[in-house]
Amino acid sequence: MTASPETQPASPNSPKSAEQPLLEVRDFQVELIADTAIIRAVDAVSFTIHRGETVTIIGESGSGKSTTAMGILRLLPEDLAVLSGTVVIDGVDISADPKAIDKVRGKTLALIPQDPMTALSPVHSIGSQLFEAIKIAGAASGKDKAALQARAVRLLEQVHIPTPELQLKKYPHQLSGGMLQRVLIAIALASEPQLLVADEPTSALDVTVQGGILDLLLELQEQRGIGILMITHDLGVARLISDRIHVMKDGAFVESGEVQQIVDHPATEYTQTLLAAVPVLGPWDETPTASGRRAAGPSTTPDPALTETGAKP
Amino acid sequence: MTNYILKRLGQGLLTVFLTVSTVFILIRMAPGDPAVSYAGPLATSDQLAAVREQFGLDKPLLEQYWIFIQQLITGNLGQSYSFQAPAMQVVFERMPYTLTLATSAILLTAVVAIPLGVWMSRRPDTGREFGVNVLTIAGQSMPDFWTGIMLLTGFAVLVPIFPASGFATWGGLVLPTVTIAILQIALISRMVRREMTANFAAPYLTVARSRGVRSSLLTWRYAMGNSAIPVFTALGTRFAAMLNGVVVVEVVFAWPGVGSLIVRALETRDYPLIQATVLITALLAVGVQLLIDLAYPLLDPRVRLGKAATA
Repeated sequence: MTASPETQPASPNSPKSAEQPLLEVRDFQVELIADTAIIRAVDAVSFTIHRGETVTIIGESGSGKSTTAMGILRLLPEDLAVLSGTVVIDGVDISADPKAIDKVRGKTLALIPQDPMTALSPVHSIGSQLFEAIKIAGAASGKDKAALQARAVRLLEQVHIPTPELQLKKYPHQLSGGMLQRVLIAIALASEPQLLVADEPTSALDVTVQGGILDLLLELQEQRGIGILMITHDLGVARLISDRIHVMKDGAFVESGEVQQIVDHPATEYTQTLLAAVPVLGPWDETPTASGRRAAGPSTTPDPALTETGAKP
Repeated sequence: MTNYILKRLGQGLLTVFLTVSTVFILIRMAPGDPAVSYAGPLATSDQLAAVREQFGLDKPLLEQYWIFIQQLITGNLGQSYSFQAPAMQVVFERMPYTLTLATSAILLTAVVAIPLGVWMSRRPDTGREFGVNVLTIAGQSMPDFWTGIMLLTGFAVLVPIFPASGFATWGGLVLPTVTIAILQIALISRMVRREMTANFAAPYLTVARSRGVRSSLLTWRYAMGNSAIPVFTALGTRFAAMLNGVVVVEVVFAWPGVGSLIVRALETRDYPLIQATVLITALLAVGVQLLIDLAYPLLDPRVRLGKAATA
């Protein structure tokens, strides 16, 4: 599945939107320079994302999934990470020319970070950070305060933040994690991005808030046909929103495929272990089942059953 | 907010009162006799007794303290023995010199140390950064009397660009300012580098970079904006400390400030002058500290809004 026909470079003749992938990653490799050794954190991974698609990389902590995302975005420290392979974002080859990343950052590409509580500068207001993103996107000039304000309010409305005018004046510590993640999504949307990289966007949030953020991402995807690269350790999240899943272990994909196929017929023991780790909701007094699933207790992930009724078609 | 200021003012005044009281007791416990300093080594015991009576030093300690407290309240700390003028007035005359020196030293420190620290934080592990790093360690390690004498030898004696002592021309300000600033620049620039390095590694900086924020904005708006609070505090605290007289540097350069005044006052056991100097410098130090604390909310919204919420 990793070497599906989609990984081939788009030919110039082909109709643009249908054929050319938003993100094309081929033989991508990240080596981290540690004190005593060089660690290959990401080992020759290849995948593609088209418009309107959600592709999920799932794996345990330390499997290299976040490093893959950060490497694609070129956000790893340059002196510590050596990247190789090909990364093409919306037709811009950012692996050939590292400076080319500036053409896509804050424009076609946006990041939704792992921990919203630390992802905004604590001494700058929500408004000033949102205005800055709008200015970078070129959606409104810095001089036109009214246009900036209007655009910012519209963005916050799109992520369903109540009383946006008031929130603009607030500082990050005054908002909850869920609200901050919505603000960060609004900031990401400022540039009308084509591709969102969501690095565990819900793992730092309350369970009750996680579902809301995922719903929002799906809603935005449906409205705008955004492609999403989702990084998660949470199979519940992956099932809920993904079109395709790549299971990552020790820096490489051990299994790739359609969501349902992976869930129903896991090919590797590792994927089976991940599946078994998903808790299921049940009565409080239910005894542990033979499969080793944790019984009862509050679920830390959305109910896998949601896939049947979830927003994802 | 008003309550907060009143509370802080009260705390500050209490601090000043305890400081001057401690000094009042300590100087009387220390060896040495003001009467001997005043009347000279050849004075007879009758003459010494007359001097002690004139200065009120023959009274019991508690009574002297009571008189001192009354003086504190009226703001008149008595006549300086050696200057034969009101002690407070003598200190006030010296204050502008120390204030000038402290201000110019802290400005030089800020202007050099902040860009230097930022520069170091942006070029870690390069040869030049290593060189500057070594220089800051050297600057931190050199005692200021030595730096002062070296600068004097170099730029006032061997190559006489600047005057060696006093404050007759603005040129006289240069060497003492540089002497003080060398140590402060070394300390503050290392602090700026540490803060900036920590903020460069902060998640919000990575996220800002991911949305295409320019490198100069990442440095100055994001990293510096978040480093400003501890750096500003350090600069303010050091400024307050300098107002207490930069004693060694003032003596080396014969700077007519509070620092050299207190040395003279101590040498002659000029009790009123010591007390007046300590009172004024303590008031200034506490005042500057209060101003720093009041300026916090301007730099840090978390403090600003925290206050508003509890008030």
